[in-house]
Amino acid sequence: MSFGYALDPGYVAAHLGELALGLGWTVVLTVIGFLLGTLLGLLGAAVRVARVPLLSPIVAAAVEFIRTTPLFVQIFFLYFGLPDLGLRAPGFVVASAALVIWSAAYNVENFRAAIGAVPRSYHEAALALGLKPRTVFRRITLPMALRLAMASVTNTGVETLKNSALMVAISFPELTDTAVDLVAVSFRVFEVFTVIGAAYLLLTAAFTWLMRRLERRMAWPV
Amino acid sequence: MPAWVPPVARYMAQGLEATLLLALACSLASVALGTVLGIAITGELPLLRRVVRLYIELWRGLPLILILFFAFFALPAAGVRLDPLEAAGTGLTLWGSAVVADNVRGAILSIPRAQREGALALGLGWLATMRHVVLPQALRRVLPPTLNLLTSLIHGTSLAAQLGALELLESARRSIQRLVLEAGQPHSLPIYGAVMVVFFLICYPLVLLSRWLERRLKV
Repeated sequence: MSFGYALDPGYVAAHLGELALGLGWTVVLTVIGFLLGTLLGLLGAAVRVARVPLLSPIVAAAVEFIRTTPLFVQIFFLYFGLPDLGLRAPGFVVASAALVIWSAAYNVENFRAAIGAVPRSYHEAALALGLKPRTVFRRITLPMALRLAMASVTNTGVETLKNSALMVAISFPELTDTAVDLVAVSFRVFEVFTVIGAAYLLLTAAFTWLMRRLERRMAWPV
Repeated sequence: MPAWVPPVARYMAQGLEATLLLALACSLASVALGTVLGIAITGELPLLRRVVRLYIELWRGLPLILILFFAFFALPAAGVRLDPLEAAGTGLTLWGSAVVADNVRGAILSIPRAQREGALALGLGWLATMRHVVLPQALRRVLPPTLNLLTSLIHGTSLAAQLGALELLESARRSIQRLVLEAGQPHSLPIYGAVMVVFFLICYPLVLLSRWLERRLKV
C-alpha cells in the first residue's frame, strides 16, 4: 500500500494466544446469552399468551422498553449505574446478564409470534377432542410453535453473538476488547481486524449451521 | 430538583443534539446509498451484483462496534483524517447502507415476476421498468423495515461514545466524571436511567409507526 503502512502478519501470529482467549470468552458469553435468553424468552412468551394477571403486562412493558433502548446504554446502566444502589457485580456477570435480558426480550416476541402463527383450527380440534386447555398448549400448540420460531430465534442468537462485542465498554476481555487493546498499542489495525472479523463471520456461520441441523432434526414429515 | 441536575441537563442537551444530528446524517446516507446498492444487486451486471453481495454480507455480518472501530483506526492509517463523530458516522453508514440494500433487494424480489415481464413486453427498458413499475411498489414494502433500521441507527449512535465522540451517552459519562470530581457523588443511576428514557422517547414513536404501517400494508 502506498500510504506508508506495511502489513505485518507476524504481529497477529505473535498474539494468537490472547485472541484465542478473547474468542473463548465471546463463545462463553454467546452460549449463556443464547441458552438462558431463549429459555427466559419462552417463559415470558408463555406468560404473555396465557395472560397471567399482573405478570403479563409487566413482561409486555419490560420487553417494549428493553427493545426500544440501546443495549449499549443498558450495559452502562447495569455496570456503572446499579452500583449506586449497592448492586456491584463483576464484568462477567454484568456482561452475561445484559445479553440474557436483551435476547430474552427479543425471544419473548419471537415465540409469541410463533404461537400466534399456529393455525387456530389445531387448537379448536384438540379442544373438541376433549383435551384440557393446558394439555392443548403443551402437546399441540407449543411443539408446533417451537419449530416455527427456529428461524427468528436463530437470528436473535446471531445478534447476541455480535452484541457480545459491546462488552468492550466495560473492558470485559472478549474478542473485540482484546483486539482493540492490541490495535491501540500497535496500530496493526488491518491485520488484527481482518483476523477477528473473519472469526466473527466463521462463528456466525457455525452457529447458523448448527441451528439448521437442529431445525432439520426437529422437522416433522409433512 | 437537586442542584446538580440543571447543569448536567444543559450539558447533556448538547450531547442529545449531536446524537440527533449523527442519527439524521447516517439515516440519510444509509437510505440513499443502500437504495442504490439494493437496486444494483437485482440489476443485470453480474460483477456488480457479486461486489454488492459481498458488501452486504460483510457489513451485516460484523458486530457494529467493530465496524466503528475499524472506521476509527483504519481510515487514518489509510491517510483519511476523521474526528470520532465522523468515524462513527462512517461506520454506522457502512452498516446501515448494507441493511437498507438487503431490505430493498428483498422488496424488489417480492414484486411478482409478471409485473416486470409485463413492462418488458410493453417495450419498457430496464430503467423505465424499475422506475415506473417495480420501485413504486417495492419502496412501499420497504418502509416498515427502514423505520426499524432508523431505530437501530439511533441506538447505534450510542456506540460513538466508545470512540470518544461527544454524543448523548458520552455527555452522560463526562457529567458523571465531573460530578465525582466536584462533589464526590456520581449519580450514575439517574443519569444513565435518563439516557435510556430519552432513547426510548425518541425511538418508541418510530417503533409504533413501523408496526402500524406493517399492519396496513399487509391488508
